[in-house]
Amino acid sequence: MLDPELQTLVEITLRTLWVCGSALLLALLGGVPIGILLGSSQFISRGLLVSSVNAGMGAPPVVVGLIGSILLARSGPLGSWNLLYTPYAMIITSTAIALPLVIGLTLAAVGSLDDEWELQVRTLGIPRHWRIWLLIREIRMGLLAAVIAALGGILSEVGAVNMVGGNIAGETRVLTTAIMMHTSMGEYEIAMSQATVLFGNLLLLAGLLTWLQQSGRKR
Amino acid sequence: MIEDTQPPSIALSAHNLHVRRGRGKDAFSLGVDYLDLHAGEVLVILGPNGAGKSTLLRALAGLERSVAKDLIRGGDGPVTLVFQRPAALSGSAEMNVRAALLGKGIPEEVKRQRVTRALDRFDIQALASHDARTLSGGELRRLALARAFVLEPEVLLLDEPFDDLDAEGQRILSLDLQQAIEDTNVAVAMVTHDLRRALLLADRIAVLAPGRLAQHGLRDEVLLRPNTRDIARTVGMTNLASGRVCRQAGGVSWIQIEPGFEVPTTAALNPEQEAWIGIRPEHLKLDVGRGDGESIGKAVVESLISDGLATVATLRVHDRRFTTHLLSGRGLARRLRPGDPVSLAVRPDQVHALPA
Repeated sequence: MLDPELQTLVEITLRTLWVCGSALLLALLGGVPIGILLGSSQFISRGLLVSSVNAGMGAPPVVVGLIGSILLARSGPLGSWNLLYTPYAMIITSTAIALPLVIGLTLAAVGSLDDEWELQVRTLGIPRHWRIWLLIREIRMGLLAAVIAALGGILSEVGAVNMVGGNIAGETRVLTTAIMMHTSMGEYEIAMSQATVLFGNLLLLAGLLTWLQQSGRKR
Repeated sequence: MIEDTQPPSIALSAHNLHVRRGRGKDAFSLGVDYLDLHAGEVLVILGPNGAGKSTLLRALAGLERSVAKDLIRGGDGPVTLVFQRPAALSGSAEMNVRAALLGKGIPEEVKRQRVTRALDRFDIQALASHDARTLSGGELRRLALARAFVLEPEVLLLDEPFDDLDAEGQRILSLDLQQAIEDTNVAVAMVTHDLRRALLLADRIAVLAPGRLAQHGLRDEVLLRPNTRDIARTVGMTNLASGRVCRQAGGVSWIQIEPGFEVPTTAALNPEQEAWIGIRPEHLKLDVGRGDGESIGKAVVESLISDGLATVATLRVHDRRFTTHLLSGRGLARRLRPGDPVSLAVRPDQVHALPA
């Protein structure tokens, strides 16, 4: 039988990984195609969309949390979904924070390719889905940078997930909100152990992604 | 043996091609009434900067949004374009060539054979495993050509394929390219600013004036019979002058350019008609009594510039300048000095003339 404190630490660590992993996955699934579309097409409102993405990259997470709270509140437009103070609300908010980062860095990666790259691949008669595969392969270093930035953004964020999650023990408490709570209660030892686990996770994931990035660059 | 006199089949025919791009003072438009590409032939597209040469290639490749376009294909083989600055995909040179076959449903064994053949054709088999992004400019051009030929194209469009290569690199690549064209019977349209290379490869020539196709025909027809002075300059007919028909005899008209400088031509002109003449530098001879055409008058050597193989002699006739080519290091090229007087001669059938 595990020590109850250790059991709690394992539980909130797993919840943190689940919330962060889901948010990262959703941000990548949405952000990479949008980034590729914005980076490789020309249309009238493109400039406006790119400006919005840039603004989103610098948006304070607490504002995202506030908007999330208003939307998901019982009286809000999405109140009927009953998501406020659930891990799903935290995933949605974290996704909203990471999405502009993924779009922006994907856009930059596509923009760093030769202007004629797409035309040159198109003139080889390669079908569209294979062209997209080649493009993703070509910008994979930039995409890894997007993953690292998004992961950092999600893992280190506390204000927004606290607002929409409520830091409910056994329900929505994750490492960041737990650290904040224990620090405010003066329980520095517990906060430190949780911070070490959080930092360890971040280091492990960032290290893995950086290794992937560097080995890809050498190839 | 019965000689095959069948004309080469048309691989791609463009009719009423009209491309319009940009707005205001940046607006650009290109109109081509018709242009044919024939199997196994090289069409060289010449023209001044900004005339629309690359735009025409892109339009033929279907990459340019056209206002109007009627492209008629002779077959259903691939049409591909090799860009002026080819892009290397990340990965090996072999992967770059193999990528062209993605999604085409070709069996692996056939793919392997085609990739090997394409790499061999452009002599880059030894670079197959090298990272394509580390290749030199010349190697990258060869890779881009291998990537195009692995498709076994029916139409190949080349934008400045010899750009940035040194003379030896150009020579070797043009030989490999010529061989590949012969082997595959591909129809080629090639944009180049290198007139010498163009003349070596071209079966036919198209000359663009800004925004339109100014002349299009068999190589010698365009080289020797340009429709306008601008086209004449573009195809290297550097000796241009205006004058008036002063006498006619035996199907030859004599055009007086300056007093004592009369140029004969077999072109159909009327008596006293104003006309302009054009003589290719290789057709203007220094008259040393060997019967190299009709003597046309005196000139003074102004300068002699040699590249080791050919010497370009600039000759002054009053205020006009003419040029001729001599073989470097031999005969006249060795003896002549700036300021020397010379006599000029030309064959009447090698003088192009049109009413002014």
